[in-house]
Amino acid sequence: MTLRADHVAGAFFVGVGLLIIALSGDLPTGTLSLPGSGFMPKIVAALTIFFGLVLTLRASESKVFATVPWSDAQHAALVVGITALGAVLYERLGFLTTNVLLILALLVIIERRRLLPAVIYSVGVVVVTYVLFVYALKTPLETGPFGF
Amino acid sequence: METTLLSLAHGFSVALEPANAWYAFIGCLVGTLVGVLPGIGPLAGISILLPVTFGLNATQAIIMLAGIYYGSQYGGSTTSILMRIPGEASSVMTCIDGYAMAKKGRAGAALCIAAVGSWIGGTFGVLVLTLVAPPLATIAVKFGPPEYTALLVLGLIFLAYMSSSSLIRTLLMACLGLLLGMIGIDNMTGHFRYSFDLAELGDGIGIVPVAVGLFGLGEILSTPSAGAVKDIISPRMRELLPTRKEWSEAKMPIARGTLLGFIIGIIPGSAHVISSFLSYAIERRISKHPEQFGKGAVAGVAGPETANNAASTGAFVPLLALGIPTSPITAVLIGALMIHGVSVGPTLVNEHPDVFWGFVASMYVGNIMLLVLNLPLVSVFVSVLRIPYAYLYPMIIMFCIIGVYEVNNSIVDVWIMLIMGVLGYALRKFDFDPAPLVLGLVISPILEQSLRQSLIMSNGNYLIFFSRPISLGLMLVSIGLLALAAYAFVLHRADWRTKLAEVEAGEKEL
Repeated sequence: MTLRADHVAGAFFVGVGLLIIALSGDLPTGTLSLPGSGFMPKIVAALTIFFGLVLTLRASESKVFATVPWSDAQHAALVVGITALGAVLYERLGFLTTNVLLILALLVIIERRRLLPAVIYSVGVVVVTYVLFVYALKTPLETGPFGF
Repeated sequence: METTLLSLAHGFSVALEPANAWYAFIGCLVGTLVGVLPGIGPLAGISILLPVTFGLNATQAIIMLAGIYYGSQYGGSTTSILMRIPGEASSVMTCIDGYAMAKKGRAGAALCIAAVGSWIGGTFGVLVLTLVAPPLATIAVKFGPPEYTALLVLGLIFLAYMSSSSLIRTLLMACLGLLLGMIGIDNMTGHFRYSFDLAELGDGIGIVPVAVGLFGLGEILSTPSAGAVKDIISPRMRELLPTRKEWSEAKMPIARGTLLGFIIGIIPGSAHVISSFLSYAIERRISKHPEQFGKGAVAGVAGPETANNAASTGAFVPLLALGIPTSPITAVLIGALMIHGVSVGPTLVNEHPDVFWGFVASMYVGNIMLLVLNLPLVSVFVSVLRIPYAYLYPMIIMFCIIGVYEVNNSIVDVWIMLIMGVLGYALRKFDFDPAPLVLGLVISPILEQSLRQSLIMSNGNYLIFFSRPISLGLMLVSIGLLALAAYAFVLHRADWRTKLAEVEAGEKEL
């Protein structure tokens, strides 16, 4: 049997439904006249499993899993990784420092841009945004240990 | 009628206050840019810019955010016509004949027809909204939990039925959204659900991190920087005016697109996308020269562009009259108003007349602003596309982080955005449209509460939904739609939705 995209997608949704039911163990389902907090999640989880199974059963109409293009996955993973690092640093270093580093890293590491233009661009964009939000729009941004 | 006109006059006095008009202008300007830029649609644009409105009052906030929404519909046509890149999904149909007109040296005329059509569609939509929303709100006050449940169920089924991707895929996305919407404290019993001892999840998952993650970050992850810059046709000012023949060919498609768009806009789903597709299909079918479609037919630009703008306005009817979002974008707008302490629903028109009528009047003003902005400044907007995507997307990521973090000052929201970004990327790989997920997330608490209240009211008798006239009517429509969908599903019949999916995927032309 050829593994198709909808086999994988359907299995994922069946898994999500089962996971929700497993996590709902301590939530009371209640009765029809007094539904509990687990009532609706279990119904929706059951529907998710049902639709996931239908998707899997009709998977022959979908593309072959091996043909799903993943050539951009490395780019995507690097963007996610650097953004995650930005999230870790955001409350520690504040808006200005974190975002200068974030944009610089995206430009230099992923896009292979030259260092000087990348530094000028990242500092310029972040400072203009900071001034716009803090002074023009009166929306305070996260400050770091240096007070900005 | 007289009361409506008086209220509208009051709305104009609110909308034309210098500060409010300024924010309408900013919204239209930013919206046009959002529409022009591929990779950042109106939903991500509105969500990212939500914190910008924190310093504003509710009226100014909704005026600006709505300006972004309908501005993006105008802007989306620019890249479609000049580069064959739809700035956002509803402009897909404009690409076909708009770009063909541009290649024939009629780019300016195509842009002008698109802008005028958009203006007429948008303005007509606002006119009907003015007349329809207040009486509809009066009826909606009589809605109880069973009616709301039936209405929301109908909304979900309509969404699935109208979706260009398959019914099952849409329902799966909606279910995932409903499940995400159940995270946090259960309003009726106080139980913590799926919050894994994270206090930040007690209030549930916000719509902003989910929308920004799925549509902002997800789009960036799916768009490799290479190949994002293309040749751009820049029309000159003197080329902007269409000929008399072109105007005459555009007249009726604009009229039909206006009516069709508004009606479809009221229906849940990606109304502006569907309306532009249907308008194109109708224009081609009734044209005396269908062979011209795909080669620069004026009707192929005028109809879809008018329809998608009329639909954008139509989507505000259920939002303002019933407090029910019919699309993820209107869902974010509800969230924005709630942040400003305004609850949207049938009582909005009486409790916050400044917000309601100021917003309605601002749409008249905004549509004129967009017409003035889009024609002479088209070269300026297009020049934004000359910025290499490699420099553009880091800036968008920064705005995503600000947009998400500033809503609750919570880094957990940024992590949710990241997770949703990865999910959005994966969903695109497997041909899932994430829009129903966002809609499911928003209606989840309302649906759950109204369903449980209905069952409590009827002592567990689910026939309550069939024993009250309004909910019975709504349920019958739901059943009818399900039967129609099942008929196509069982017989494997390819209807208009299949064709729309194929056109959106670029597999074939209409």
